[in-house]
Amino acid sequence: MVQNILVRNNVKISGAGIQPILFAPGFGCDQTVWKFVAEAFEEDYKVILFDYVGLGNSDISSFDPMKYNKLSGYVQDLLDVCEALNLKDVIFVGHSVSSMIGMLASIQRPEYFSQLVMIGPSPCYLNYPPDYFGGFEEKDLIGLIDLMDKNYIGWANFFSTILMSTSAREDVTKDLEERFCSTDPVVARAFAEASFFSDNREDLPKALIPSLILQCSEDTIAPTEVGQYLNQHLPNSTLVYMNAVGHCPHMSNPEETVQCIKEFITNGSSEFSLDVVPNKHG
Amino acid sequence: MYLTNMDELINLTPCGFLTLSREGKINTVNQTLLKILNYDERQLIGQHINITLTKSSQIFFQLYFTPLINVKHHVEEMYLSFVAKDGEEIPVLLNASLITNEVQEIIACVAIPMRKRSEFESQLLYAKKAAEAALKEKNNVLSKLENTLNTLQTKQEQLLEVNKVNQLFKIVTERELQLAKKVQETILPKDIKNNDLEIVSYYKASNSLSGDIYGYYEINPHQYGIILLDVMGHGISSALITMSLQSIYQRLISQGCSAQKVMQSLDSHLHQLFQNSEETRHYCTALYLFIDTEKQIIEYANAGHPPAVLLDTKGGLHCLSAQSPPIGMFDEIDFQVSTIHYNSGDRLFLYTDGVFDPLNLEILYDFAKKYKNLPLKQLKQQFIKDLKSKYLQYKKSDDQCLLVIDLN
Repeated sequence: MVQNILVRNNVKISGAGIQPILFAPGFGCDQTVWKFVAEAFEEDYKVILFDYVGLGNSDISSFDPMKYNKLSGYVQDLLDVCEALNLKDVIFVGHSVSSMIGMLASIQRPEYFSQLVMIGPSPCYLNYPPDYFGGFEEKDLIGLIDLMDKNYIGWANFFSTILMSTSAREDVTKDLEERFCSTDPVVARAFAEASFFSDNREDLPKALIPSLILQCSEDTIAPTEVGQYLNQHLPNSTLVYMNAVGHCPHMSNPEETVQCIKEFITNGSSEFSLDVVPNKHG
Repeated sequence: MYLTNMDELINLTPCGFLTLSREGKINTVNQTLLKILNYDERQLIGQHINITLTKSSQIFFQLYFTPLINVKHHVEEMYLSFVAKDGEEIPVLLNASLITNEVQEIIACVAIPMRKRSEFESQLLYAKKAAEAALKEKNNVLSKLENTLNTLQTKQEQLLEVNKVNQLFKIVTERELQLAKKVQETILPKDIKNNDLEIVSYYKASNSLSGDIYGYYEINPHQYGIILLDVMGHGISSALITMSLQSIYQRLISQGCSAQKVMQSLDSHLHQLFQNSEETRHYCTALYLFIDTEKQIIEYANAGHPPAVLLDTKGGLHCLSAQSPPIGMFDEIDFQVSTIHYNSGDRLFLYTDGVFDPLNLEILYDFAKKYKNLPLKQLKQQFIKDLKSKYLQYKKSDDQCLLVIDLN
């Protein structure tokens, strides 16, 4: 069973340290996205990388459309990996939607996690005026799904998806070389719907372990207002504004990202700098 | 003037060209793209590429372009929607690569508008989705059909099981019936042949057990009692009643009781049997003959039975017809007894309505006359033969009984 999970989720472990730090990729990509950041932790930490089922070199035959069309499916993947590795007090670093996946997992099994680092998180991508502005109207997200349909990045097999059921896709896809990023109409579509149409605002007060919110500038996917909303509603959170622009600082500005994470995990939320805004309850 | 400067050529080349900083800010943009987007150069330089993308494309750019260019250093065939200054959306296909040298790091992008192709592709995707929906529906129907088939198979297996039980039951029942048939046949008397008379009988149940029954008894050396009964219906219930009646007439006739006494006893027995149950009530036609070979007389009582026929030596035919209704039908019937004389050589035919039609006795008359010179044993053979031919085929589905008596 343990071995199955490690293969299913393509778990990779490296680093010389004892304290585990687990990096979870954001929507649509696999663990490769962490390659600039993760190596900076190898000297002092046990670095754990994995792929969600359906992405990267995970076992795509384990993909169940009914399981992975909700965030709970991905939360279960994360918990499965923690259980398989017998992890305790892991430092969780999640990008984008993985921030919420990590947060939900920490509510279910707090003993697995010691700290949460959230890069570009959002509890809800849709606008619910007048109280909440996630940044998007429904039509924008439907437009995103349409764009995914018209891009063939990492598709398992365009034509096979028409003719075969999901369960029959194993043979077609096992020789696939690379699925670093995917707009696959079955796998990525399920992930997209789970990610972008979920609303986890009500779960925020339940997440009690210390968390860091890394807020980029000019991030269209997770705007500053959303970062501030999170900071206000996550009981034990710290908000840090980064110089990095966009939604992927771990790729565009790995040094700054590494520095922010290290400062947080070594000093916790007690470290204050000009950019640090602790939660008023925290 | 010859255009040899590559910068100028790129400016005019028939595709959009732009370079971005690693963060996505526009560094340069060629004339062709400016024209497509309807912007001035100064309006775009230094802006994030988001300014030229639809909202959906902005998200997509962040989710796919950024990881791909950072990790793989190139992007191929990315479909995005640009948005021109006037709001017009322009679908483009974008290729990009990360170019690095000692001084700088830039992302070079080529964008080809694909309005027609995009529209066509939209329609293809629409058709694909329709086909997928149809396939899903088909699979749903198929799985329902499979369920139905499974249910059907289960039912069929159950049926086969029930059938097996039935088959076993049938075999047991059949065996029981055959045994019962033997019991019934055991009580039938053997043919008689002596100086006074000769009797042959033919007896056949339509279905294992018969509702017909007969008996003849030598009361003393010159007196004989002969009885023939036909219980209404046929099969097991009728046969049971014949057995019950037989035990009574066998005793009475052997004691030499009168025809009237025999009939009355059988009648009251039936009434007693069914006095509390109309549902099971059976009635029965009966014919009793008391033959005195010394006096050469026949005393007879006929209760609703087809007439016995006497063929005399001159070829004359005499009917011993019913004088009363069947037994077991009405209360307190006075059974009439009649007497006729006979001569040596006369022949008597007693039968049930499964053999000859009482409403059309011509066939019996023909048969009797045609074979009047045949000895009884041969007559019986002839009768059996004729039964199979059309000549005597009358009612195959009823019990059959025939007694022929030669009076010497």
